[in-house]
Amino acid sequence: MVATRANWKGFLNFGEVSCPVALYTAASSSERIAFNTLNRETGNRVRREFVDVETGRPVGRGDQVKGYEIDDGRYVVLETDEIAAAVPESDKTLAIDAFVPCSEIDDVYFDKPYYLAPDRMGRDAFILLRDGMRKEGVAAIARTVLFRKLRTVLLRAHGKGLIATTLNFDYEVRSSKQAFEEVSDLKIEGEMLELAEHIIGTKRGSFDAKAFDDRYEAAVAELVKAKLEGRSLPKKKAPPVSKQSDLLQALRESAGLAVGTPARRAGNTNAGRERAKLAKPTPSKAKSAAAPTRRAS
Amino acid sequence: MAIRPYWKGYLKLSLVTCPVQMMPATSESEKVRFHTLNRETQNRVVSRYVDSVTGKPVNEDDEVKGYQRGEGDYIILEDDEIENVALESTRTIDISTFAPRDSIDWIWLETPYYLAPNDPVGEEAFSVIRDAMRAKDMVGIARLVISRRERPVMLEPRDKGIVLWTLRYGDEVREEDSYFEAIGDGKADETILPLVQQLIRKQTAHWTPKMVEDPVQERLLEVIAAKKKQLKKLTPTKAKARATPSAPNNVVNIMDALKRSVAAERRAKK
Repeated sequence: MVATRANWKGFLNFGEVSCPVALYTAASSSERIAFNTLNRETGNRVRREFVDVETGRPVGRGDQVKGYEIDDGRYVVLETDEIAAAVPESDKTLAIDAFVPCSEIDDVYFDKPYYLAPDRMGRDAFILLRDGMRKEGVAAIARTVLFRKLRTVLLRAHGKGLIATTLNFDYEVRSSKQAFEEVSDLKIEGEMLELAEHIIGTKRGSFDAKAFDDRYEAAVAELVKAKLEGRSLPKKKAPPVSKQSDLLQALRESAGLAVGTPARRAGNTNAGRERAKLAKPTPSKAKSAAAPTRRAS
Repeated sequence: MAIRPYWKGYLKLSLVTCPVQMMPATSESEKVRFHTLNRETQNRVVSRYVDSVTGKPVNEDDEVKGYQRGEGDYIILEDDEIENVALESTRTIDISTFAPRDSIDWIWLETPYYLAPNDPVGEEAFSVIRDAMRAKDMVGIARLVISRRERPVMLEPRDKGIVLWTLRYGDEVREEDSYFEAIGDGKADETILPLVQQLIRKQTAHWTPKMVEDPVQERLLEVIAAKKKQLKKLTPTKAKARATPSAPNNVVNIMDALKRSVAAERRAKK
């Protein structure tokens, strides 16, 4: 076990209760395959340079200031400390403003998760809050200055501890209503819906992150190898799109593929080795026995 | 969708396939954005690529990706070659499994995207997949290559579309035990817990996006507005003369509107 250092230490306040707590990064990004940008002409690496758009001369770090465009080509200049001054002084306190029923929380606002654990002195208060929230089925909304930024944080019970998820601000999340504005308002019913539900039933399984393997790097290595050998990989063809006229037929055939004998299903599983790795379908007889004509419950 | 799609491809369930497009559910566009200026000239500072050996600027057309084989040894990969990498999941979201939504803990959620049909021809197929998931109260699990990773993704119906979440890998989520084990197995004191629950109930409210407003952004806009006033008093302008200086000034109008909105929000809150 790695010695764990807190990313933030402070106090968690609810009502008149205060308990010393610490935040720890709960998730980190593992490395992805790196490409470098090259100059095609010379094959050399390129580097980034910051230049004055008018004079074309490089501008050193110290000469770079922030400007807010108020008018085409006119800026209000703000120094770093002026921007920092807009952030309130850190009081090292996660003060709970409100509790929200877990079922109402819109997860699209989620940013990064942190584990929140108490100091020894704060253990009793921490456990009270954790178990109280769990019993009530709520999460807490708190505000604090984290890493020099004012953040809204969502706290919820997780195992023995709490998870604190930073939330994006309202203006950072696009409205899904607007995003889907142009999608036609089709209500699917009858046989089509029943067939699709049946297919879903036959593909029921669970998500296992630990079993997941990223095949992208291997695929790029293969691409590089092919290129070195002077081969080119076959061009991918666009998959045939299900037109409205043959959608019902495609659903029937899909449902037929999935229809039940265990032998048939095993065959299907073999066809998708990666599927077996990504998620293990639960071999539930009850689910696969459902007839394609089953009604939605 | 007015916004340029971030990704285009296909959504597939067994033999049903439809063209789809995707865009991030989050955006920086409404944030108070600063540009970098040269303090001396007050001109914008832009970044450009220069050749690391010759020091000469590199045209955008000449920028190409390189895969490093060894010290200073690169294989050039063109964009269309990279797109052609032998993985179906670069272009097709093939739903392999369905699971109850609550079986996937929030901690696995990485980045949300909005997924919508990309062509009227596929709208019905898209709607079938969406509505069946909704009727069964299930989310779909698939693979997708996104920013050079092949990730598990979760598809969840929302309004007329689907939210696609990239999920974290197993090794990206740290083992909680090392952080939580010191808490011990203690349970809350049964005599105090009802009080805590009472306090919680008193403070429980319905979720609203108001809970994620940003007072700092409002404050920054105030600072900017104050500085702008000063600027006007001091100099007529050192800025570049525009061809139509009398044209209505959108930026200023938006600023006024923003300030009015901020003030209105404040009043509403009180």
